[in-house]
Amino acid sequence: MIYLDNAATTPPDGEALARAAKEYEECYFNPSARYRGGFAAHTLLEEARREIVSHIADAGKYEAIFTSCGTEADNQAVFGGAGRGNAVTTAGEHAAVYESFLRLRERGTEVRFAPIRGDGSLDAEAFLSLVDEKTSFVSVVHVNNETGAVNDIIALARAVKKKNPRCIFHSDGVQAYGKLPFRLSEGIDLYSVSAHKLGGLKGTGALLRRKGCTLRPYLFGGGQEGGMRSGTENVLGILDFRYAAEGRFASLEEDYGRIKALRTRMKSLLDPARFGIISPEEGSPYLLSVYARGLRGEVLQRVLYDRGLAVGTGSACSSKKPHSRILEAAKVSSEALDGVLRISFSARTDEEEVCAAARLMNEAAEEYANKV
Amino acid sequence: MEKVVIIRYAEIHLKGKNRSYFERVFAMNLERALRGIRHELHRTSGRYLVEKFPEGREEEIEERCLRVFGVHSCSIGLLVGSDMDALFEGVRLIAPQEGSFKVVTHRGYKKYPLTSMEISAELGGRLLESFPKLRVDVHTPENMVYVDIRENGAALVFCAFRAGAGGMPVGTSGKGLLLISGGIDSPVAGHMMAKRGLSLEMLHFHSYPYTNDGAKEKVFSLARILSVYTGCGRVCTVSVTHIQEEIHKKCAAELNVTLLRRFMFRIAERVAADLGCGCLVTGESLGQVASQTLEGMTSSNDVVRLPVLRPLVGFDKDEIIARAKQIGTFETSVLPYEDCCTVFLPEHPATRPKLSFIEEEETKLDVEALVEEALTTLERTSL
Repeated sequence: MIYLDNAATTPPDGEALARAAKEYEECYFNPSARYRGGFAAHTLLEEARREIVSHIADAGKYEAIFTSCGTEADNQAVFGGAGRGNAVTTAGEHAAVYESFLRLRERGTEVRFAPIRGDGSLDAEAFLSLVDEKTSFVSVVHVNNETGAVNDIIALARAVKKKNPRCIFHSDGVQAYGKLPFRLSEGIDLYSVSAHKLGGLKGTGALLRRKGCTLRPYLFGGGQEGGMRSGTENVLGILDFRYAAEGRFASLEEDYGRIKALRTRMKSLLDPARFGIISPEEGSPYLLSVYARGLRGEVLQRVLYDRGLAVGTGSACSSKKPHSRILEAAKVSSEALDGVLRISFSARTDEEEVCAAARLMNEAAEEYANKV
Repeated sequence: MEKVVIIRYAEIHLKGKNRSYFERVFAMNLERALRGIRHELHRTSGRYLVEKFPEGREEEIEERCLRVFGVHSCSIGLLVGSDMDALFEGVRLIAPQEGSFKVVTHRGYKKYPLTSMEISAELGGRLLESFPKLRVDVHTPENMVYVDIRENGAALVFCAFRAGAGGMPVGTSGKGLLLISGGIDSPVAGHMMAKRGLSLEMLHFHSYPYTNDGAKEKVFSLARILSVYTGCGRVCTVSVTHIQEEIHKKCAAELNVTLLRRFMFRIAERVAADLGCGCLVTGESLGQVASQTLEGMTSSNDVVRLPVLRPLVGFDKDEIIARAKQIGTFETSVLPYEDCCTVFLPEHPATRPKLSFIEEEETKLDVEALVEEALTTLERTSL
């Protein structure tokens, strides 16, 4: 099986899992327990917390609040961060932010959605025009999870803070962490990450918080995570997250260049008569969104899977909700909406797989174009 | 004194010489419904008793039995001795302690020394003595206490009847093949025929890869809900993908659905023959969609010899939805997955296709080979 659906999830990093499992077996205590074993588990957690932050930020300035997933981190940011006044986000957000904003609106907050361009990137000017002195919270996805468009969150955060220094700036970094080389700047207050997008386990995420940024808790109980996220910590998942991230960041820049070349190769191998490109030229190297001309993406996806290639589609297709909300917001053609396929790479993807994948895609698209 | 669930049956008493056969099937169906709960099922004259089950499970047993076709009503009660002291001991335990009441006695054992009225009066009197807040009201009582004097010195006491599913025991009217889609109608059609005693096999057509496995899984979920009533534990699936592709490629677009349905009926008839089914059952309702017109049904019937039962033919959508909600399939039916009919749906399907035109279009296809090929994709999935 050639696996090119890494934006959905990644295969587990076996080495990281083995290390984490060994430590967890030896130190299974509740990190809140007040004997030495508990303290040892607590220490492991704190080391992991610092490590996970330090890859993209100064661990003295940011801290990680561990959550059960990226979605929870996004929800924690939105509901814990948004205050009075208005909240601004983009039409290109992952559902975890988008749907949370819709709930905010139900609760009486004025929410504003900035438009996106045809490649999924944010229209920065339109976005900034929505931010004003009453804006309490802003959320901008770092890498669009459907097109791979990268938003310059550092510049956006700076511009937002210039207009309203008290506004909290959040970014969903689930598709960026462990893939793009960058550091969090001080304008970014909150940043969501997820373990299973870089070889970690499902069920582990984190919200990175700039120290000093005031956030209200979202889950209440025993007061873990500094009172920000009650619930016994997922120690195994967090340790595994630490080691998986360590592996990814060790070769991040080198992988970035290599995967970028593979993405370009993939684009050149796909038959332009059969496939159109949705992703922007300068998008994340790890994600390439294309569409099959005259075909339904999800049909092609199933055919390809049965032939040994796993790729994604824009969103789960159903008769009730036939198209991706994000791509509709990007105003791509209806042919592209129907035919979208999301090819996403991992640091392990090699050229042989890319060539084989392109060949399978071209063959299947041609075969099915003659059937329907 | 022992807690029991009393089961009364519906139409079986009409069945004359076949009665013992009907009762045997009925008992088997009850046993199947009670699978997983330790119990004993006994038949006494005119009813069944579930006895010797673990404490506290009587309501679950009653619920399960109520869904079995052929059940007229159920009651949770006590099996007690029939002497007056034992009767009163039982009645005291289940009777209300305040409000109005009435005791109704049925004397199955005619040699009992007291008449029904005398027994009711005696028990009512004793209850009034025990519970001062109780009062008798023989016309519009708030509570009822039933006493049923059996033979062998036993009696049943209970307070309520709950209506059962009615109908006839599944399996006593032969076996049919239900064409089940992921929609609202076909499970309801299956439920209605099972109620008339038809045992059901199920056949689902899919168009993978144009439809996804989620759509198939949805059908299995529906079949699982239905199986509670029908006892059927498996679904056959057949792919009509290639048939749809061929029709799409070679035939008039407006006949897509009409032609596909003819193929489905042909395939269904062969599957039915294999499974020993004597009829096909569909969820069609006259005029509901383009293919469910009189002409559409005529065109489908034309390719099979088996009778096609369409229990919903005269129902409108609201009635079908109400039934789907009642049997618990509605929520699953409306989950958003495409069933195979929508994949190659033409913009303007023919509503009144002429048989001669259909047959002419069909000559463009190798019908027999396509049917045979489709049958090679048959899979049986246990639920």
